[in-house]
Amino acid sequence: MMKLLSQRLLGPVTLILLALTFWLGLWVTPPDKVQGNLARLLYVHPAIAWVALYLSFGTATIASALYLWKRSRSPVMDRVAHCAMEVSLVFIILTLITGSIWGRPAWGVWWAWDARLTSTAVLGVFAVGYLALRRANDDFELRARRSAVLAILAAINVPIIHFSVQWWKTLHQGASVFTESGNFKVHGIMLTTLFISLAAFTLLFFWLLRARYRVQVLRDERERVSLDEALTQRRREGVH
Amino acid sequence: MGYVVAGYAFAFGGLALYALSIWWRGRRAQR
Repeated sequence: MMKLLSQRLLGPVTLILLALTFWLGLWVTPPDKVQGNLARLLYVHPAIAWVALYLSFGTATIASALYLWKRSRSPVMDRVAHCAMEVSLVFIILTLITGSIWGRPAWGVWWAWDARLTSTAVLGVFAVGYLALRRANDDFELRARRSAVLAILAAINVPIIHFSVQWWKTLHQGASVFTESGNFKVHGIMLTTLFISLAAFTLLFFWLLRARYRVQVLRDERERVSLDEALTQRRREGVH
Repeated sequence: MGYVVAGYAFAFGGLALYALSIWWRGRRAQR
C-alpha cells in the first residue's frame, strides 16, 4: 500500500513542490538586504548542487560499492549506479550554469578557477568519463566492474568539493544557510522556500532516477533479446 | 532580475528537457 502510494504520489508531489519553489522564489520572497533580487537564485542553485554532488553521486557510489561487494553483486546495482551517474551529470552541469549566472553580477566574472568551481567541474569530467567508459565495453561484467571502480575513485572528489571553501581561500562563499554554531542565517519565508526547494529537487531526483531506471531495464531487455536472436541465427547457419 | 530569470530558465528548462529525453528514450526502447 505504502509502495503504491509513493509510486503514485511521487510525480504529482514533486511537480507541486517545484511549482511552489518557482512561485515563492520569484514572486513571494522579499529581495535580500545585501544581494537584492540575486538572492532568489539561492532557492535553485544550492538545491541542485545538493542533488548533483551528494544525492545522485552518492547513490552512484554506494550502488557501485554494493556491486563490487560479492554478496550484493547484481545487475540492479550496476543499473542504479549508471542511471544515478547520468542524473548526477545533468545536475552538475546545471549547478555550474546557475552558479555562473549568479557569479557574473556578484563577482563580475562568469567563471573563476576557484577551488570550489574547479573541483565541481572536475567531478563533471569524471561523470562524463564514467558514461564514456560504459559505452566503450560490451562485456557486461567487465563494464560493470570497471565503471564501479571509477565511480568510487571519482567520489574522493566529493569531500574535496565540500571542504574546498574551508581549506582554500575561495571566491565561492562558505556556508550560506547555517552559522558556525549551527544556527540559521536565513529566516522566515526565505528559509521555508529554501526547504521547499530542497525537498522539491530531492524528490525530483528520485522521480528521474526511477524513470531512467525503467528505461534502462527496457534497453537491457532489448539488448538481451537481440543477442539471443543473433546467437540463434548463427547456430542455424552452423547447421546448414 | 535578468540574471535571476536566466538562472530559473536554465534550471527548470534544463531539467524539463532531461525528463523529456528520458521519456523519448523510453518510447524508443518500447518500440
